Amino acid sequence: MQMRPDLQIKSVIKAMNDVVLPAVDPQNKLAQEQIRLCMGLLGLMARQLPLQFRFDCEELARLSAYSAELQRIAAGGDETGAALAALKDKTQSANATLERAKSSPHDIEQAVRSLREATGSLVSSVFRDGDSAVQDRVQRATLAMSKEQLLRDRAWVITQGWEPDPKSVPPIEQLLGIADAT
Amino acid sequence: MPAIDKNRPSPEWIAALRKRFPSEKEIDRVLTRKMERRAGPGYSPMPLTTLIEGTESLIRSQFGGKCQLSDARWLSGGASKLQMAFVLDWDRPGKGREKTPMVLRMEPAESIVETSRLREFQLIKAFEGTVPVPPVFWCDSEGKHLPYPALVYGFAEGVTKPSAGHSGVTGLGTHLPPDFRGKLAPQFVDCLAKIHTFDYRKADLSAFEIPEANSTQCAEWGVNWWTRVWEEDADEEVPLMRLAEAWLRRHMPVMDKAVTVHADYRLGNFLFTEHDARISAWLDWELGRIGDRHQDLAWTTTRAFGHLAEDGKTFLTCGLMPEAEFLDAYEKATGFKIDTKAVHWYKVYNDYMMATLLFATGYRIANGGKTHQDVLITWLMGIGNTLLEEMRTLIEEAP
Repeated sequence: MQMRPDLQIKSVIKAMNDVVLPAVDPQNKLAQEQIRLCMGLLGLMARQLPLQFRFDCEELARLSAYSAELQRIAAGGDETGAALAALKDKTQSANATLERAKSSPHDIEQAVRSLREATGSLVSSVFRDGDSAVQDRVQRATLAMSKEQLLRDRAWVITQGWEPDPKSVPPIEQLLGIADAT
Repeated sequence: MPAIDKNRPSPEWIAALRKRFPSEKEIDRVLTRKMERRAGPGYSPMPLTTLIEGTESLIRSQFGGKCQLSDARWLSGGASKLQMAFVLDWDRPGKGREKTPMVLRMEPAESIVETSRLREFQLIKAFEGTVPVPPVFWCDSEGKHLPYPALVYGFAEGVTKPSAGHSGVTGLGTHLPPDFRGKLAPQFVDCLAKIHTFDYRKADLSAFEIPEANSTQCAEWGVNWWTRVWEEDADEEVPLMRLAEAWLRRHMPVMDKAVTVHADYRLGNFLFTEHDARISAWLDWELGRIGDRHQDLAWTTTRAFGHLAEDGKTFLTCGLMPEAEFLDAYEKATGFKIDTKAVHWYKVYNDYMMATLLFATGYRIANGGKTHQDVLITWLMGIGNTLLEEMRTLIEEAP
């Protein structure tokens, strides 16, 4: 997956800065202001995207600690008791989520790149010094894995309109197993 | 990918790639030049005056007479080169004083397809009088006068699609009305036949090498070329690309006869005049080589360049004629037989090349800010998945 949002945002900002902005009518102050705001927001997105997951995890850890402190110090009547019970439930759920979030999107991306490199290298090696029966098996395994991955890669950019028969490609949400796929 | 800094390649690594992937000398020169300059700056917008001054310098160095350049303006179109239109007031040899509309075609800092301006210049020059081509005037193959290598050619009359029609970027998705098809299709076959039967030994094609007939050298040079580019540019490995390289090497076809190959022969790459539907110029010769005719046949019959006819059933090659009709007419016009296994191999080869350009070079140059239209390059990367799936299916269904 090379067509990631960071590259897309970078390219859009460069096009707006180098080509579009110089062509905007200097007398159209609203357009001048808004194109600069668009570029500014895109720049902010580019900076935030790789940090977003860490930012959210860190906030969740802080809220969890805060919740533990509140549970320790808070006391009151029935209403407070009910609120404490609800807070305890939600904190347990949040802590479980935080526990599962030990690997970041960056970690996953790096692991993907690492396995792509190692599997690609093995394929090349087998075709250099493996026997033909092994080569045939590796070919079948590579074609099968690639078929599934490419289906998702194509669904990922389906709105660009490259597919000759877009109906043959299921929605990306369905392929990723997201429950509320439409 | 291994821990090699491809944005700052070492001389040792460049030398190792050159040795590992032997190809034609001019291809090697262009790719080596690309790698030696990679660590340099990205593309910065330049004023038209820079191009005007460089063009004037180029023309002065190769044309002695007095001339005046005017009406310079940017042209859009194409994903790989910058283009500036202008008018040259000059004493044109053999024609006298005239104001000639011309186009400067120049590379950016790095192009999605790194090719030789000298080869493009020689090929177009060679075909003047054989098939319609734009007149080509001067070449700055090393970028001595302009910021980057460039060539100057004449403005050719015509359109790539009917004025009333529409198409996507790079001319894909063009639909021609039946009356245009009927007139253009025979010319389309005739021009390809003329290119493939052209006596290249009589032309100045010094930047080209001729692969040995009755051997797999042509196929091997091609696989080496694009595998070298993959190694130079790819940021992220794709196991299917490694399998494709191995498959291509395992099944290389023997080339029976070397011919000139256009390498991008399709609808969208020729101009025609609308009033009489005559092809007026064949464009985009930059990937041309002396090689195997099946490369062009595989490319031209690519599904992505065609569409269904009005009956909803008949698939039209390049939107012009049914594939069987096209291939039959080609065989009659050239006297050459078509080897369907070689066509199949070149279809895999063409997808391999395109996937390399989109996923390896496209990513590398857009991320490095190396072109005048990184946003278009990024957009085009999306089609790479569809091409990879086509390549995967072709390998799976290989005869």
